[in-house]
Amino acid sequence: MATTKTSSGSLRSYLITRLLLVIPMVWILVTLVFFVLRVVGNPIKSAFGQLPPEEIARREHAAGLDRPLITQYWSYLKNVAHLDFGVALTDHTPISEILRVNGAATLELTFWAVVFALAVGVPLGRIAARHRDRFPDVGLRLFGVLAYAIPVFFLGLLLKLLFSVQLGWLPVSGRASPEVEVAINEVTPNTHLYLINSILYGDNEYIWDVIKHTILPAVALGLLVAGIFLRLVRVNLLQTLRSDYVEAARARGIRERRVVRKHAFKNALIPVITVMGLQIAALLGGAVLTEETFEWQGIGYKLVYYLGRQDYIAVQGIVTAIAVIVALISFLIDVIAAVIDPRVRY
Amino acid sequence: MAFSLRHSKALSMSAAVAAAVALAACGAGKNDTGSNSSGATSTGNPITVGTTDSVIALDPAGSYDFGSLTIEENIYQFLMQVPAGAKAPQPDAAQSCDFSTPTTYKCTMKPNLKFSNGDPLTAKDVAFSFQRVITINNPNGPSSLLGSMKSVKAEGSDVVFTLKNPNDQTWPFVLGTSAGPIVDSKVFPADKLLPDDQVVGSGPYTITSFQKNQLAQFTANPNYSGPNKAKTSQITMKYYTTSDNLKLDVQNGAIDIAYRTLTPTDISSLKSDSNVKVLTGAGGELRYIVFNLKTMPGDNEAQKLAIRRAMAYSVDRQDLATNVYKGLYQPAYSMLPQGIAYATEPFKDVYGDKPNPAKAQSVLAAAGVKTPVALHIDYVSDGHYGETSGDEYNQIKRQLEATKLFTVQLQGTAYTTYSEERVKDTYPIYQLGWFPDFVDGDNYLFNFLNPTNFVHAHYCDNTKPTAPCIKDGVLPLLTQEETKSGQARAEAFTKLQKILATGTMPYLPLLSGNQVAVTGTDISGVQETLDPTYLFRMWLLSKS
Repeated sequence: MATTKTSSGSLRSYLITRLLLVIPMVWILVTLVFFVLRVVGNPIKSAFGQLPPEEIARREHAAGLDRPLITQYWSYLKNVAHLDFGVALTDHTPISEILRVNGAATLELTFWAVVFALAVGVPLGRIAARHRDRFPDVGLRLFGVLAYAIPVFFLGLLLKLLFSVQLGWLPVSGRASPEVEVAINEVTPNTHLYLINSILYGDNEYIWDVIKHTILPAVALGLLVAGIFLRLVRVNLLQTLRSDYVEAARARGIRERRVVRKHAFKNALIPVITVMGLQIAALLGGAVLTEETFEWQGIGYKLVYYLGRQDYIAVQGIVTAIAVIVALISFLIDVIAAVIDPRVRY
Repeated sequence: MAFSLRHSKALSMSAAVAAAVALAACGAGKNDTGSNSSGATSTGNPITVGTTDSVIALDPAGSYDFGSLTIEENIYQFLMQVPAGAKAPQPDAAQSCDFSTPTTYKCTMKPNLKFSNGDPLTAKDVAFSFQRVITINNPNGPSSLLGSMKSVKAEGSDVVFTLKNPNDQTWPFVLGTSAGPIVDSKVFPADKLLPDDQVVGSGPYTITSFQKNQLAQFTANPNYSGPNKAKTSQITMKYYTTSDNLKLDVQNGAIDIAYRTLTPTDISSLKSDSNVKVLTGAGGELRYIVFNLKTMPGDNEAQKLAIRRAMAYSVDRQDLATNVYKGLYQPAYSMLPQGIAYATEPFKDVYGDKPNPAKAQSVLAAAGVKTPVALHIDYVSDGHYGETSGDEYNQIKRQLEATKLFTVQLQGTAYTTYSEERVKDTYPIYQLGWFPDFVDGDNYLFNFLNPTNFVHAHYCDNTKPTAPCIKDGVLPLLTQEETKSGQARAEAFTKLQKILATGTMPYLPLLSGNQVAVTGTDISGVQETLDPTYLFRMWLLSKS
């Protein structure tokens, strides 16, 4: 009983500490974003450099950019605290709207990429560990390095050329065919998650259309992380297989396959959860390139769109939001890791 | 332990992913849908158009860009518009328009016009539409186009514009620009923008679904009674950011039309694909070289002029159009591109359509210019004038250096810096491009030749007798083309174009834009809409 109390108390204090650390982390991130974008230049001049100076001045005043920098910064912090990330200069779209609509697209893509990465990386890592230093292991390690090293946009292009252009099996780009996209966006409630929307719409052809559009982007993005998972699972499983309790299991005459499956594998997966948290930022970075390659209209796609138009207010809002999301997801992963693995909180 | 596929559940899971890809293939090629979400009566097969343009706003008071105008053109009516293939505006929602006094332009409305929501369209709505553009004065809006309007009011079925300049010949063109869409005064607020999802117009189409810069679906407007009746009841516009996906989708048949903008390489590759048609029409864009008359090379005015003329003898426009732009542009031999009313080709008449190094050398020798002349030419490197600007100017450098009369140093700069530096006399010879506000010759000349011109390269800084534009005598001709009609206007345009080639020659026109669209072989109506207005008239499109 005393042990349980101590354990839950340490978990609570660990979580509180982690939560409190999120605040300065987010503050540092949003501050960096604000000042780095101001160093780059005047957002209005960047977006509308071709206009006469008096018009630029008028727009700077309207956007509050003629105020002292510290005043702008304070106002920006207050707005971020209220989850108000501003409005894009070039097309007047509120950043919160972009996060709601395009964020759902990124969430959907990232989810399927993680599913793919786990489905491929974890079992292949297990095979590599079981066949250490033999042909399957060498081949899979090589695959892991390649999957991690190959630029995601290049892989995307290769996949498109093979499956869309040469074989004609899968669509080139987009989240759904135009007619399907129009129809499934009319469902209520509109989740902006197309698979759910298409299920709500209730037409199997539409569901299939959405799945077809998802495969290539999810594979391109998922492979990036699958390579990491593969190598991580392999290393952890090899370490676990050398541990005393596994040796004890072997000494009891349990067959090797059962030793791996029942005793070693689950424990070897614990670090994967921690690394998954670290990979969220990598996935979002990869999502920017994947979304651009496949015209997948997520927040990464929008980020590139606004960068191209030098709309730094929109860029600032989106980057700030991504920073906040990464910080919160890191916190969540820490929580999950602490709950699963008591060693983490000590 | 031997490696065995048979015993590996793990590999089975991986194989399942591959199976999903294969399974997807089974459904590929199927026509997934054919439904009309709006429920409108279907006419013609639905068409999907792809574009890399983007939309700023659907409220006309808040947008002044190609992407927004492409939609506005189809969902709103205008008092006057340039019909497909024509060079001058014709009445659209108006029955007739004309000057009633030198500064009063009066339009009489057609009777019984209606918006798509059933509200009647009256002269009051028209006056309201123009007035709110001025009132709102949105930074992204077209209020600058109405600079010559003093006031607007409705008188019965007439709309009366009071203009600042007498007999302003550009005004009918302005009515068909981004400033001219007619909006419903019962729906649109007078002093602020209306959200995109609430706009109402009276054009041939209505918007039935709109996801900004992602997807827009248009359905034929049942209340439309004008001449531009839609041939296809449902058209979908899909927005891309990259031209490579646009190209692949039109090639694969995922979309029916790729309209604006494919790269020269894409177009070159698509020309050999029998599944698509590559259509070309005249565009209004102009690419040209500006000479800073103060800082360009040359010891005196005569030498500077000789260098400008020698360059005109040395550039090969056809080479640029064919080898750099693969037909996306055509040679421009005037500041008025071909396709614009009154356009002539004085640079071709004076300097020829092929490089003439001997003439170039004799011009330089006559002015006592030592050769080779060292030129420093600046261009925009960040894609503001297209991604191919670097290739274009490298080719110009090769052309000039091939004559042995010039050595050229190129410098590329991002547009933001470029636009600030070029007006500070930093660049002696440099690239600029022009997209017209409307397709009247005045828009290609007035902005370049009057004392308040935007170029600031010392051609017309003031109205002193020593100013080159005064010596060339262009200002009276500008007034003539602005205020006179008919033969007098035509003469003014012809003279102005000729003076620009034979006088001080402050600009060297190089290329004018062709519009290119790629369509499936079963699509018609696209060729008709490819003209210098850049208007994409969806009502002309049909699919067999």
